[in-house]
Amino acid sequence: MREPTGGPLALTMGDPAGIGPDISLSAWLGRREHATAPFLFIGDPSVLAARAAMLGYSVPVRETDCAGAVAVFDAALPILPVTCPAPVTAGDPDTANASAVIKAIDTAVRIVTAGEASAVVTNPIAKAVLYDAGFRFPGHTEYLADLAEKATGQAVLPVMMLAGPKLRAVPVTIHIPLKDVPGQLTPDLIYRTCAITAADLRNRFGLERPRLAIAGLNPHAGENGALGLEDNAVIRPVIDRLRAEGIDAVGPLPADTMFHDRARATYDVAICMYHDQALIPAKALGFDDSVNVTLGLPFIRTSPDHGTAFSLAGKGVARDDSLRAALDLAAMLANNSPGDIR
Amino acid sequence: MTTNGAAGNGARPVIALAMGDPAGISPELTAKLLTLADIREAAHIIAIGDRRILDEGAKAAGVTLDLESSTLADLNKAGTSRHFFVDLAHLDPSDVVRGEATLAGGTFATRNFRTALELAHAGKADAVCFTPFNKKAMRFAYPGYDDEIRFVADVLGFTGKVREFNVLEKVWNARVTSHIPLKDVADNLSVDGIIAELELTQACLKEAGYDEARIAVAGLNPHAGDGGSFGMEEIDIIEPAVEMAKSLGFNVEGPFPADTVFGRALKEGYNAVLTMYHDQGQIAMKLMGFDKGVTMMGGLPFPLCTPAHGTAYDIAGRGIADVGASREALLLAVRMAKKKAALEVAA
Repeated sequence: MREPTGGPLALTMGDPAGIGPDISLSAWLGRREHATAPFLFIGDPSVLAARAAMLGYSVPVRETDCAGAVAVFDAALPILPVTCPAPVTAGDPDTANASAVIKAIDTAVRIVTAGEASAVVTNPIAKAVLYDAGFRFPGHTEYLADLAEKATGQAVLPVMMLAGPKLRAVPVTIHIPLKDVPGQLTPDLIYRTCAITAADLRNRFGLERPRLAIAGLNPHAGENGALGLEDNAVIRPVIDRLRAEGIDAVGPLPADTMFHDRARATYDVAICMYHDQALIPAKALGFDDSVNVTLGLPFIRTSPDHGTAFSLAGKGVARDDSLRAALDLAAMLANNSPGDIR
Repeated sequence: MTTNGAAGNGARPVIALAMGDPAGISPELTAKLLTLADIREAAHIIAIGDRRILDEGAKAAGVTLDLESSTLADLNKAGTSRHFFVDLAHLDPSDVVRGEATLAGGTFATRNFRTALELAHAGKADAVCFTPFNKKAMRFAYPGYDDEIRFVADVLGFTGKVREFNVLEKVWNARVTSHIPLKDVADNLSVDGIIAELELTQACLKEAGYDEARIAVAGLNPHAGDGGSFGMEEIDIIEPAVEMAKSLGFNVEGPFPADTVFGRALKEGYNAVLTMYHDQGQIAMKLMGFDKGVTMMGGLPFPLCTPAHGTAYDIAGRGIADVGASREALLLAVRMAKKKAALEVAA
């Protein structure tokens, strides 16, 4: 694993039938207006050209390697070619192209672990399309963790963080049924999630002493056991341990009163026990600018907080706000700065 | 249930207003409410408490009360042309410790509340409102005090289904489960239970003036289960409940993913969101300004409304407490009392 050397952001194409190509093109078109950091698109040049034609965009695309991308970026959209084996129709995903989708991710990880790219930014993929092609990971994040483990020989616990204009939130459990949440919330999982979050906020976000606000699980954080036992029996001892290790952690806090302005001013990240406990406030506080950041990886990875939106591909209505926010945050993290959380 | 037939004739309904915890902002809020011109126009208030505490509240709020005090026995004077104060004369201001939950404060508030409920129960008031209680103080005075719903059921011997609704001007929130451990939520969902909540929600919305209420229903699991990938309750319980509700004539849609259901409700003009558990609704509602909203207890024989915010011990006595949510609570109670009377006449 080499340190980044000021290379471009590696941007994967995602599912070529989704809006990834659309928003990548429009992010490049807005590069001057928004002072977007140079990115290298990893994907199929002919898909980009066809999508640009559909959208009426005039975008010069230039094939280049990583080293040349930064110099090219102002004049043309730099691309590291990964060719789709089957024709691509906007809005109509094809499992025949799953191999190219995955190869783009592999390539991004390869160049970032080689120190050639400064961070990975991923466009949305459609899990169902990849599953049909034999992909065996629950999602993007788990696949990246597996690639990272292979690259470094070390175990990785990927931690998902949502970073929006007003809130950073980390769900400890993610895509599982709500009824399975209490059973999955082990002290070890909560502890490792918090420790990784604290370490990455320190090392990548440049926050010297990150402040963690940890949500309870039950209504009113269990109200001393009257409304559930996990808050005191499972979560509180983890917080004690974190504090004993010098991590600034408070909680368990009632989830319904920890997200208003005054409360948010007292912490840098909210650790949430389940998906919607993090996603409800994240979306209420800033939908278009939310970014996914994967913590715990040996490299920086961000992604827009939306899906492939097949129905919008090629229509010129997909918004690039979240992708631009993901590119901006990746660039800032590559420079060890906390991002624009206000 | 209406006083002097007042509400039914389109006249001003009578609202029993219980003074809440005396150590917080309740006294000043009560005093302010009694002086608001639009409230005076809309309702006759029977405020209940101790006149000395109310006068201190008026002083703190910087308002002058033009208000007759009397005893409970003189209540037949109410329903004339004025607000009216029932002076229970049960708390000396020197016994109030501002900013502290005490037995004396809890005793004061529970007696006021009980009196207000009994007035409504006896048909002498059309609705009940109260300024904020402190739960700890209420428990000193009434050890079994879980919440208002439980207290009301105890006092009135009411055994029907009563539910708390959170009301913002733009959207209401009702919930299928409330103060139970998260691990028990899934087991407490059923088709019949959801239908019953939808029925009560629609009935309450109708009383509040939404004749053609539209209700959005939240899912339980991440992404509303994503087609069964992250949980089956949507497919097994919530979708069938929504379909059955539709066939019963409800204007209802869902289940929608919980992280976008409120945004959708605002954008698409739903009047209410039915959530499956406490924090699913509370997180979003509080971020939408619910501390300025109203809590309404639906399912009782009369409307029961209160501001959603608390006693605000930190600013008590300074006269800066915002009366907005209390005013909204009063006006909602008025609206519901009038509509309820009209519906009863029609029936």
